[in-house]
Amino acid sequence: MRTSENSIDPMERDHIVLTRMMSDAERLCRSDDPFMLGQYRHLRGRVAALIEMTRPPKTSRNAP
Amino acid sequence: MSSTAHDTRHSAQPFAPSAHVVQLLSLSREELEGLQLARLKRQLARLRQSSAYYRVRMERARIDPDAIGSLADFFAAFPTSTKVEFLADQNDHPPFGERLSIPREEVALVNMTGGTSGQGQEIYGRSQRDIHTQGYLHALPWFLAGLRPGHIAFNCVPAGGLTTGGWGPGEGLRIAGATAFHVGGTLSTDAKIDLMLRVGDVNFIYASTNYLHRLTDALLRRGLEPKRAFPGMRTLFIAAEGYPIEWAGRIAELWGCTLQEGYGSTQCAGFGASTFDDGVVDRNGARALMHLFEWETLFEVLDPVTMRPVKSGETGELVVTNLAIEGSPVVRFRTGDCVRFISSRDTRSGRSVHAIECGTVGRFDDMMKIRGNNVWPSAVDAAVFAHGEIAEYIGKVFTDAEGKTECEVCIALTEQAASKLPPDCAHLLGSVQNAIKERTNVLMKVSVVPRNELPEFTYKARRWKDLRQQGYRL
Repeated sequence: MRTSENSIDPMERDHIVLTRMMSDAERLCRSDDPFMLGQYRHLRGRVAALIEMTRPPKTSRNAP
Repeated sequence: MSSTAHDTRHSAQPFAPSAHVVQLLSLSREELEGLQLARLKRQLARLRQSSAYYRVRMERARIDPDAIGSLADFFAAFPTSTKVEFLADQNDHPPFGERLSIPREEVALVNMTGGTSGQGQEIYGRSQRDIHTQGYLHALPWFLAGLRPGHIAFNCVPAGGLTTGGWGPGEGLRIAGATAFHVGGTLSTDAKIDLMLRVGDVNFIYASTNYLHRLTDALLRRGLEPKRAFPGMRTLFIAAEGYPIEWAGRIAELWGCTLQEGYGSTQCAGFGASTFDDGVVDRNGARALMHLFEWETLFEVLDPVTMRPVKSGETGELVVTNLAIEGSPVVRFRTGDCVRFISSRDTRSGRSVHAIECGTVGRFDDMMKIRGNNVWPSAVDAAVFAHGEIAEYIGKVFTDAEGKTECEVCIALTEQAASKLPPDCAHLLGSVQNAIKERTNVLMKVSVVPRNELPEFTYKARRWKDLRQQGYRL
């Protein structure tokens, strides 16, 4: 099946996947388990950094 | 132990490119500057909301991040910052200062500069995201230099502590997917060699320039030719100290692989430039170039007096702006580092990024980099002249016969002290040594000489000599 996701370049595809992961990571960071919270923030930080790195350079020129 | 790494090394393309890196490096100069401007505006808009230090600077300079139309607008309007200003900010708003642009409880790593300037230590709060970015800014030059997942890497730089150089390499090697042995500061040179021999298929070494020299010298003294002892070695990566170009050629010959170099700092949150896979010596036997990671950090090379950009081929002060760091980012920070700038038009590499020359990064002040510590003569002056018995001193840093960096301080006594103290001055020498160590973190040999053996300084005292490069003989 051809989707909009597999028709784009690998970096942009990864960026879309990571953006989806970010919303899950944000949800985990609403945990009220204080022991897990730090670990979820660690995960969110990793995803956030990767989102920044994979932001397609040519389109990010116009990103907000 | 070595089989997995060996299989990985030979089954994967040794220099398989990364689509991520290829995409960044395929940007034209115009596209790259467009990317920089977009990231800069995002950073400034965020800092206007989150950092009182930068908000005040923007208000005073009447800068609206949304209205910045070009990098030239930014360079013309945004004021530079110095170490002194950062220290004042920290003093007024301890511990991080109002530069900190994330909530304090989101600081997951604290990095500090060495503190041996005698001025104080800059403090940087890093977020979870920044920790990954710092890892990326170490892994990136190493990937470009040939490090691949599964490789065995020896990190000879002391790990941990409070510095970026203590934490970044560990994070970088994890991100790179390497099997890392963090041997810096924990094992003697001989013990490191023993471990390397047991591991066998070592592919990558990260070390200071001086330590790579010392390690190589120690191998040769044991009758081991590096390229035969470690035939799987792909990359030697150095940073932090200059070196003679002949030495670089000899190292590459002895190890049978290319020597690569990076330029990094706490303010860059890791490496800001590297030789990629070019090596530190070009085809003509001249010094090669370190290309700048300009999509992560905005670099300017300015005349420190006029604050105008230098021309390609000239030296100037490196001024840096973080485009991606979110906790304690620097914006137009004057590093004090003296670099030779080469425009992308003149690099002959075909890359759109600018570059700086290998092996010649220095300081505009008189700081010396000694065993990873930033040592200012003024800090040693303060330690020595805190002792009223001392009339004058001179110091030298050199490479000893075993390839180790050593420091020697020769003091001369005042006439009054010379008549009272015992000839060996043991107590005084110990006190001076401790005082220097406390201020610089470097243990120096201290001896006493007659006053007439030391020069009389009639203008600016030039007490220190750096003779290390003369000792780089293999």
